[in-house]
Amino acid sequence: MTALAALAAFGLLALSGLAAAQTVGPNAEAEKCLSCHGDQSLGTIDVGGVQKTLFVDATVYGTSLHGLLDCTSCHLGFKPRRHVAAESANWLETAKLTACGNCHADQFAMYSGSFHGHLALGQTGSNAPLCADCHLAHNVVDVHSTAFRRSILDLCGRCHGGRSSTYLDSYHGKAALLGDNATAVCTDCHGAHRILPASDPASTISKQSIVQTCAKCHPGANRNFAGFLVHVDPRSPHSNFWVWLFYAFYITLIVCIFTFGGVHTALYIYRGFKDGLYNRRGH
Amino acid sequence: MASTTAAVTEPRTYLEYKRFSAFHRWMHFLVFVSFTVLVFTGMPLKYKETHWAKWVMDAVGGVTAAGVYHRIAALVTVFYWTCEVLLMVYVVFRNRGRGVFAPGSIMPNKKDWADIKGMFRWFFGRGPKPQFDRFTYWEKFDFMSLVGGTVIIGLTGFIMWFPMTFTKVLPGVFINVALVIHSNEALLAAGVIFIFVHLFSAHLRPESWPIDKVIFTGSLPLEHYKEERPLEYARRVQEGTLGEVLVVRRITWRTRLTDVIWYGITAVAGLAAVLMTVFIVWSIFS
Ligand code: HEM
Repeated sequence: MTALAALAAFGLLALSGLAAAQTVGPNAEAEKCLSCHGDQSLGTIDVGGVQKTLFVDATVYGTSLHGLLDCTSCHLGFKPRRHVAAESANWLETAKLTACGNCHADQFAMYSGSFHGHLALGQTGSNAPLCADCHLAHNVVDVHSTAFRRSILDLCGRCHGGRSSTYLDSYHGKAALLGDNATAVCTDCHGAHRILPASDPASTISKQSIVQTCAKCHPGANRNFAGFLVHVDPRSPHSNFWVWLFYAFYITLIVCIFTFGGVHTALYIYRGFKDGLYNRRGH
Repeated sequence: MASTTAAVTEPRTYLEYKRFSAFHRWMHFLVFVSFTVLVFTGMPLKYKETHWAKWVMDAVGGVTAAGVYHRIAALVTVFYWTCEVLLMVYVVFRNRGRGVFAPGSIMPNKKDWADIKGMFRWFFGRGPKPQFDRFTYWEKFDFMSLVGGTVIIGLTGFIMWFPMTFTKVLPGVFINVALVIHSNEALLAAGVIFIFVHLFSAHLRPESWPIDKVIFTGSLPLEHYKEERPLEYARRVQEGTLGEVLVVRRITWRTRLTDVIWYGITAVAGLAAVLMTVFIVWSIFS
């Protein structure tokens, strides 16, 4: 029994060693697919009115995190031939969503219970993001990379534009835009796979857990501290009255002082010219 | 012909009117340095979406480093503000509370209001130019807005610096409000200091054109002073206190060297201020 396990383990090791030894680039199975899909003139396919290219860039895929996988790991059931209807049915949803769960079961389970997952799995034609909408497909990137972290604002902003613009007005957003890679981005507060509305007690931003979420970066955070409003638009009285009030007050004050100062300056200089005050000697 | 004579007889010793003590000049130097640092490390945050913001942030060493410099300059600000206020309190005590609103004081009084009206009459050619005592109304405004503005910008700055401490008692929305106040007060302060105080008062105003150096040298020629602040001059003659403000300024190689150094620093800071002003104005109107 133990011998068998040892043998199996040895076999696995040898296999993984083989895999690692392979040079970066599509494997032999993938080459079969690429004999057609590596051709840029292959054309496009209509997906719900959007034209998607059938071409796959071998270098992009080969250097991606998934570069060593067979194409059929995600495109389940496809054979290297002119594809039949049975293969192509639902192919996009499979590749972007259901197939991911085969390897990433934990993340898939969390996603299924999330707000996005509920929409995506429960309604046909919802706009909710599928796995590949955030993680990308042939160019899937390392989520721990700085590049991915920096791209999160844009990823979320594609649907949550208003939210991301108010975030950018907060200190986190300003710092992130100007190159601070450690400051909090969307997923640090909202989570990634298991995003839930604030009204759900299990959400990272619910009344019950927000203080803990802030405390991840701000040890000692208290309830008042967590009451800081990340998504507030100072230009609207409906967003937060007090923030708007001070904003409106200051804009008015600035306009008044600058108008008065500007007029005063212009008239002073005008009178200076008229009276020849600039021509006097001695200073 | 005339110029040759002038060159030969050019005096090297002047009788001048002393307007600012060494204390005031050093205070101005601290304001000058700390304010420039605060504006350069703060404004990119306010205009974060612009190219110049990224450029300035990278130039000062990144967001995190900028935050450190901003806090160091904030401490310098607290220091000069405290010195200035302590001096004011001391002066009030020394005079036993008398003369706080007297003609030579920095505090506003009724004559300032009359002067504002008088200046507008003069602008439109409907009256003589009002005569001023030691400080004009705009000088008082500039000074008071710095002393008062520092309280506002300092308090809100400290709320953002130590949010955990302040939210022990204050609700979280105070941090939001603090940011709005700090950010806009900074815009106001930078505008007033860069444009009205310096570009206008120190350079473009006919009495200063092309440059008013008194905050660096401390004194100005007596003739110029009599013309600019006739009321103070008359008052001092009458009180018999003119001697208190008369100094002999000797031009030596050392004073010339100091002048050159000051011109250098001023030119660099001036360029920086002009650059920042252009950036901000550009961002507001685009
Ligand atoms: C006692 C003085 C001050 C303190 C304690 C202070 C502190 C702060 C803090 C904590 C921030 C948040 C950003 C960060 O953490 O780096 C900030 C932002 C800022 N500060 Fe200050 N500051 C002071 C004075 C000033 C002054 C005098 C100016 C300019 C005239 C200024 C301009 C700014 C600007 C423009 C921002 C960015 C605001 C925004 O995000 O829109 N600060 N300051």
